[in-house]
Amino acid sequence: MYKVILIIRYLFKKQISYLASIAVALCVFIVTVVMTIMTGLLTEFKQKNHNFVGDCIVGTESLVGFPYYEDFMKILEQSDFVEAVSPVIKSYALVSLDGTERSRGIEIMGIDPVRHGKVTGFGKTLHYNKDNVSKVFEPVYEPALAGCVVGVDLWLARDAWGEYSYASEPAKAALAITCFPLTAKGALARAGADIVNTKIFYYSDTSQSGLARVDGSIIYLPFDDAQVLCGMAGTDKRASAVYIKFRPDVKLAAGREKTALLWKKFAEEKTGNKPTDLLKAVTVKSWKDYRRMFVAAMEKEYTMVAIMFALVGITTVCIVFVVLYMIVSHKSKDIGILKSVGASKADVVELFCGFSVMVGLLGSFVGIICGWVFLLRINWIENWLFEHFGFQLWDRTIYAIGGIPNEIEPKLLAAIILAAVAVCLAGAFLPSRYAAKLEPVQSLQVSQL
Amino acid sequence: MLKLFLWLKYLRKKRIVLLSILAVTLSVTLLIVVASLFAGFINAFERSAVDTIGDIVLTPPVKFAGYPLLIERLKQIKGVEAATAVLSSQGLLHLGQGNVRAVEIWGIQPAQRAAVTGFKQSLLKTGTSSQPPSFTIPDSANKMGGYVGIGIITEPNDKTDEYDFGAAQKFIGRELVLTTGTITSAGSDGQKQFKRKTVEFTVSDIVFSGIYEIDKSFVYLPIEELQKILYPDEAGQIAQQVQIKLADGIDADAAIAQMQGIWEDFAAKNLGWDSYLIKSANLETSRQMQSQYVAEFRKQMDVLLLIFGIVSFSVVLLILCIFYMIVITRRKDIAIIKSCGAANSSVAVIFVGFGACIGLAGSLLGTISGYVITKNINAIEQRLSIALGLKLWKSSVYMFSKIPNEVDWNAAWHIVFWAVVAAAVGTLIPSVVAAMTKPVDILRYE
Repeated sequence: MYKVILIIRYLFKKQISYLASIAVALCVFIVTVVMTIMTGLLTEFKQKNHNFVGDCIVGTESLVGFPYYEDFMKILEQSDFVEAVSPVIKSYALVSLDGTERSRGIEIMGIDPVRHGKVTGFGKTLHYNKDNVSKVFEPVYEPALAGCVVGVDLWLARDAWGEYSYASEPAKAALAITCFPLTAKGALARAGADIVNTKIFYYSDTSQSGLARVDGSIIYLPFDDAQVLCGMAGTDKRASAVYIKFRPDVKLAAGREKTALLWKKFAEEKTGNKPTDLLKAVTVKSWKDYRRMFVAAMEKEYTMVAIMFALVGITTVCIVFVVLYMIVSHKSKDIGILKSVGASKADVVELFCGFSVMVGLLGSFVGIICGWVFLLRINWIENWLFEHFGFQLWDRTIYAIGGIPNEIEPKLLAAIILAAVAVCLAGAFLPSRYAAKLEPVQSLQVSQL
Repeated sequence: MLKLFLWLKYLRKKRIVLLSILAVTLSVTLLIVVASLFAGFINAFERSAVDTIGDIVLTPPVKFAGYPLLIERLKQIKGVEAATAVLSSQGLLHLGQGNVRAVEIWGIQPAQRAAVTGFKQSLLKTGTSSQPPSFTIPDSANKMGGYVGIGIITEPNDKTDEYDFGAAQKFIGRELVLTTGTITSAGSDGQKQFKRKTVEFTVSDIVFSGIYEIDKSFVYLPIEELQKILYPDEAGQIAQQVQIKLADGIDADAAIAQMQGIWEDFAAKNLGWDSYLIKSANLETSRQMQSQYVAEFRKQMDVLLLIFGIVSFSVVLLILCIFYMIVITRRKDIAIIKSCGAANSSVAVIFVGFGACIGLAGSLLGTISGYVITKNINAIEQRLSIALGLKLWKSSVYMFSKIPNEVDWNAAWHIVFWAVVAAAVGTLIPSVVAAMTKPVDILRYE
């Protein structure tokens, strides 16, 4: 009990201990704000990537694709761990607004919108057909025409608030999309002919996945059309990938493992058939592995910032050390009395460690409250700064970021509090040892009183 | 003299002061490294544009004929060192079975381009040659040569982020097929159609600029040959862009104004364009073209420095604590000084000056360590990558193969100045406490 009384007394009576708490609060405040924003960005980015590809991808990087994908989809659909599957064609194409001479290279993605909507978050990315994905390739102005969904950044410019100006319904616009069909052996198909596979598609909707690279480079086409354009139709139909969504109770790693086993068995069964070389290039990846290149970069930045904050935390260790050292120096009489009435060295260490924990907790509490209040108002502050001074944390015309993420993660808060307490304990280590070693006979001698 | 004596005494006797020097050093190091890396990245970003497209770029809304005449006229402007034309298209490069890459095709004049940009240094085979670069294939005059970006034919190693230059060099001499096309009016109904063009060329050199996006997506062919393939019916030599190099010290805005006049005159008289089309041409410096991104990077650098600046404020608190401790434990010194006639302000100055000296010492050490870390950042990153087993800096993410390692001295001096000020500010409260000390209370016998 005496320890608690002394800790509270030192904490509130010794003004210098406020300094230690302020230092902890300052660090906790800034770490809470920055790491909450970064965690929010990272979580959002991961979620967008997950929504874009579903849970698992069986596919190949080769533009030739792989055959027998329909057979494998049937096997997947009959399995007990798969909820939905969607075949995908991926390739490159040249696109030009019909009637103009300029063309630009883009990526095309051939999908069955209903299937794809069940596996991924594709439906939610649409603007006009959010509630009716099956009609997404039917231009509202002439449903009989072949429609296409354009990545929003290919079609519209973001304004300073990160918003797009959509018309009430899609304007009639024709896009000439030209692909270069490849044979199953990877050679250019129809090499003798002069005209390549070109088809006019009509703008029917936009897709905003929130991923800048995707929204600025992909045009979605009906699966069958894309298959023909890329030379993957015919007797040996090919696809680039099969996207899979697992049932809710299936864990990602387990689902991927089961899919890989199914694929291995399936590929072995097909070994006798031609062309099997293409099956060798097929991989089975979870969405995390498939999008690792993009997600890992952001995760690394997150780690780097955390490391830099840890370096700055060394200063807080020093502050706690100095404050504790001062308190121990000034309270040598208290220590002497405590030890003379039977307190052990461990009790003294416990007393000062307890004090440092309290400093850490108090600083964390203040820092988190300030950080929480700041985060609650952060978007309002940014809007105010933008309206009055033209300042934005991120230029929304460049970055595909909406509001600043400000949702506090309990896990993150717990980690910050633990780190703050650990920093305080590290700072208290030497002064506590020094206090424990003080002899009552020295600190209580008359000349010292 | 007395102050200096006391400072040295406290420094020697009060080892805890070294903690505050250490904290200042740490903060200054961190801030200098962050500022330098960010500034280095921004500079490299701006320089990469100049190295890739020259100082000034003229981009008319549509392709135009007669670029040699335009270039000749542009070169007559004082300060224009060189100019070169570019004809661009997009296509698919067929590297082997099923291995097809989407690429950007640039029709260029290699020798002129080398005079405008740092293009020649990017060539693996002929980069060090004294001869101007050329697409010519030795012993095969009839074959068309072309350059391919290293990132198209090989990927950087996942662990080292380095290209396999040996494997890339083996591509030199190989014949590749490029598929591209143009939209032309064809057919009886006059409808525009896409006409496929297949280009066979021999790789005569590999381009390694160190800029990931450039190395990953560009194929270079002779401009005349590309014109023959893409626009066989067009008369005159056509281009879509003219890239211009200015001599050092030339005012770009003044040069642009002169170029605008030449362009308008050329387009009106030689191309017969109407004024709307002429005015639609874009004439700007490569730096202007990137200004929005540069401004954004600078803003992010400022925000990051502000964050670390706020966190570094804890150094002020640390100095406050340490000096408070010194003042409390050295009250007898202070009382003696005051009893000898020192004014309150003199006592305060001792501690404020000492704080400033600590700030200066910490800043100097921080500057040295910041310099050492920044200059060796690539080696440090390499060691860390080996130790952690993952590559921290990747050209595919951060554009450049190497981390820019120039120290931003301008930012460094600012950081040093504010560190000294912050250290002095940290001593203010202890200095006031010291100045208020009453000798009669401290030096009493009891």
